[in-house]
Amino acid sequence: MARGRNDILQGTLALLVLRTLSVSGPMHGYAITSQIQMVSADLLRVEEGSLYPALHRMEQDGWLKSTWGVTEKNREARFYSITAKGRRQLAEEEESWSRLTEGVSRVLRYA
Amino acid sequence: MAWHHRILNIVRSNRISRDIEREMAFHIAERVDDLRQSGMSEQQAHRVARLQFGNEATQREHTRGVDVAEWVQSVAGDARYAVRSLLHSPVFAIVTIASLGLGIGANTTIFTLLDAVMLRQLAVPRPEQLAYMSFSATRETPQGRAQGAGSSAADFFTNPLWEQIRDRQNAFSAVTAFGETDFNLADGGEARRIPGTYVSGDFFTTFAVTPAAGRLFTRADDVRGCAGSVILSYRFWQREFGARADAVGRVIRLTGHPFEISGVAAEWFRGPDVGSESNVYVPICAQAVIRGPQHSLDHRSNWWLRILGRLAPDVDVRQAGARLAAIARPSYEETVPQHWRDEDKQQYVTRSFFVRSAERGFSEIRSRYGSALLALMAGVALILLIACANVANLLLSRAEARHRELAIRLAIGAGRRRLLRQLLTESVVLALTGAVVGLAVAHFGTRALVALIAMPGVSGAVSLDLALNLRLLAFTILVATFTVVLCGLFPAWRATRVSAQAAMKAQARGVIEGHTRFRLGKALVVAQVALSLVLVVSAGFLIGTFRNLSRLNPGFAAEGVLLATVDLRRTNIAPEGIASLHRQVFDRVRGLPGIISASSSDLTPVGNSSWNDEIVIDGFTPRTMEDALTWFNEVSEGYFATMKTRIIAGRDFDATDVPGAGKVAIVNDAWGRKFFGNGSPVGRQFRLRDRQPLTPPYTIVGVVENAAYRSLRESVEPTAYVAQSQNATPGPVTTLELRAQGDPTTVIPAVRTAIGEAHSAITIDFKPLARQLADSLQRERVLAVLSGLFGSVALALAILGLYGVTSYSVARRRNELGVRIALGAVRARVVRLVLGEVGVVVAIGVIVGAVAARIAATQVAPFLYGTQPSDPMVYASAAALLGIVALIAGLIPAWRAARVDPIEALREQ
Repeated sequence: MARGRNDILQGTLALLVLRTLSVSGPMHGYAITSQIQMVSADLLRVEEGSLYPALHRMEQDGWLKSTWGVTEKNREARFYSITAKGRRQLAEEEESWSRLTEGVSRVLRYA
Repeated sequence: MAWHHRILNIVRSNRISRDIEREMAFHIAERVDDLRQSGMSEQQAHRVARLQFGNEATQREHTRGVDVAEWVQSVAGDARYAVRSLLHSPVFAIVTIASLGLGIGANTTIFTLLDAVMLRQLAVPRPEQLAYMSFSATRETPQGRAQGAGSSAADFFTNPLWEQIRDRQNAFSAVTAFGETDFNLADGGEARRIPGTYVSGDFFTTFAVTPAAGRLFTRADDVRGCAGSVILSYRFWQREFGARADAVGRVIRLTGHPFEISGVAAEWFRGPDVGSESNVYVPICAQAVIRGPQHSLDHRSNWWLRILGRLAPDVDVRQAGARLAAIARPSYEETVPQHWRDEDKQQYVTRSFFVRSAERGFSEIRSRYGSALLALMAGVALILLIACANVANLLLSRAEARHRELAIRLAIGAGRRRLLRQLLTESVVLALTGAVVGLAVAHFGTRALVALIAMPGVSGAVSLDLALNLRLLAFTILVATFTVVLCGLFPAWRATRVSAQAAMKAQARGVIEGHTRFRLGKALVVAQVALSLVLVVSAGFLIGTFRNLSRLNPGFAAEGVLLATVDLRRTNIAPEGIASLHRQVFDRVRGLPGIISASSSDLTPVGNSSWNDEIVIDGFTPRTMEDALTWFNEVSEGYFATMKTRIIAGRDFDATDVPGAGKVAIVNDAWGRKFFGNGSPVGRQFRLRDRQPLTPPYTIVGVVENAAYRSLRESVEPTAYVAQSQNATPGPVTTLELRAQGDPTTVIPAVRTAIGEAHSAITIDFKPLARQLADSLQRERVLAVLSGLFGSVALALAILGLYGVTSYSVARRRNELGVRIALGAVRARVVRLVLGEVGVVVAIGVIVGAVAARIAATQVAPFLYGTQPSDPMVYASAAALLGIVALIAGLIPAWRAARVDPIEALREQ
């Protein structure tokens, strides 16, 4: 598995997943990877190896909940949706992310 | 995650696995679809999808690891990890486990004995119903020391008094009297003595003992004029008869008299005396069989029976006391000793009865060793504390050494609790291993200790049930848990308190080290030094006591003297023939090769018996009865020469001292000074009061130096020796003192043969006088040996701790030391620097320890002899010993510090 420059920064995966789910509603894991890849115009790619452990951890932390459902292709899949706690977490992570990017860009601009 | 979720996860673990598999299968299927849409062959698409996903199995594990129990499932893993990491540092592991093992083992050993001797109830049904009688209201000796049950003179009764109590009492549902004795199994030659007990008919009923074979005594067995019958203890039955049922009905000879075996007591019954068990039980009435006319069944001042009863239902100890007090007056009035003086008779009838619980039985061991065991228990508790401090220090150092590892693991996201748990697991593994080692130590330790405290005399072997019991097990586990919590949790908590940031900083070592953990380590070592000083000082006192007593000049030279007690009772010789048979025995033995000198005497010094009498001297008015008391012995000519007791004035007994001539006596220096001050007593006279009328006068013909009489501890008592040669009717038992060349036991066979030739039915007991002296110092020896052992262990542990902390400090200050040396510090100065640090730690420890030791010393004061608990020499030597050993422990790291190569040390940065 080639490690490209578009590997997702450690710690931002949760932010991306939460954001995706909060915007698009319940999704299965595969759809989440496709969605992130598509929305980021192929700049970001989620590795399966990170995604599922992250999903399960977030579920344990109570940010997500999951149910088994059937896809349009009639396959059984696990659908994840964001919880109220997840939304609060999302707000927090967005906040800290924007502070980080602002900080970094200020440094890039003025330093 | 909440713990119940984890448990649920384990239960659901299969379902979760299935869920994860399904989810992954779905993901791959979707990926394959996409890849095929982009034009890949199905086969290739599968391959790529899998590849992209990574190894499926690994992935599943990863995902699941989050879900299921880092907690329960990985405990085994943690334990494995702990064992592996301990195997990687064997020195640490061995020192830790040995420290814990010693600490726990020593505690369990002493506690096993404490439990068996002090805490456990008597192993009989409903022991709480048992109570014993006494005629004294208090349990204190005149010295204010509490006495154990059945060990005070007031716990013994005469047979006539017992018969009154038995027939009058209404407090007990069953009551029994019993008196210890010993019987000789041999029919002649060297005696083979076994412990036995005279028991009243209700003895076995009172203890609710069942027979293992045959039948047990009833009241019908204990009537005047009874024939000899005997009940065997289970262990005696096993040993002598191989536990064969046909032993019942057979006849054994006890001290030459035939006794028919009626039955065997149940295996669990070890008698009322904890620690010493009788081999045979015979009825009280059978004393007439054994002793003939000299029996004490009607003797009104022979106090030899203890009385123990089972409280009647609804009667408690207090009520029983009241009921017995009510029958006291008539019981005493019926049994007044006729030959007593009037004032003593009056005092006698006003005595009362008192009742106390006997649920834990009687115990000579308890009264001899009870307080010693408690003192030892305190000692081993200190050892455990020191061991814990050591282990804590080792664990701290180890945690410190893993500081970076832990910091890194914390930084990359390991949970703090996860790390704590792992460190704690390591402690638990250590503590459990230590507990196992400790139990092994205890197993052998208790047996060794019991062998060490074997009682001198007939009932030599200590019979204690030392099987592991639940109380003991609980105690060990408690100690182990305590150790884990104390030693494991704290370092673990400290170790994980590091912030990743601090750890990263620590990477870039500064020149000067932070001292936080270090101060704690030092504090622990200070505590260790202080605690070990307490033990070393106590050991100093107890060893000093033993040395003082064994170096004490007893007034005779015990080395090289063999005591041979010759008993003529079995020869059935007429009383008038005894003197000549003794003479014959004595003449045969005296001429044997290897025997330098020989004498005979009635009593032996520091033996089990003593003889005192009130004396009357013209012009001396005793203030109390005790004031006129003199200790007596009857000795032959040559006794003082054989014992090497100096004759200060006058002469020894000689051939002129015959029965018809005027009675003569030799007194010791103390006697002379007491009754005649500085004037010479030679030529003066005294009489004995206890005969009616007074005896004819004894004329003092000599004065000898003071010699120990009853024990080495007692200050020398006024003693008078009378001439054996003037006794026309000597008793059938006498003791020969034989001074031999070299080891006195080598002459035993020759002496045995020579006496056997004089008469084959003579019974002989041999004992070197030196052993008799050593036996009398047994408790002192046990305390000296054990306290010395404890002191050494404590010292070793403390030094190990000191060495560890100093080495560690040197290792951490390598840079600093390197800079100092580079800047021109002389190496001697570096050594001084390190040793100075050691000195401070030791000095503080010694000061704290000396204060604690002074307090501890007052606790051991009752055991001391010839030394005071405030003796500054003992403290000074203990401190000096500690200082020297600490210096040695400090020198090694100091020397290493001085050898630090500045270039190397600085380059490391």
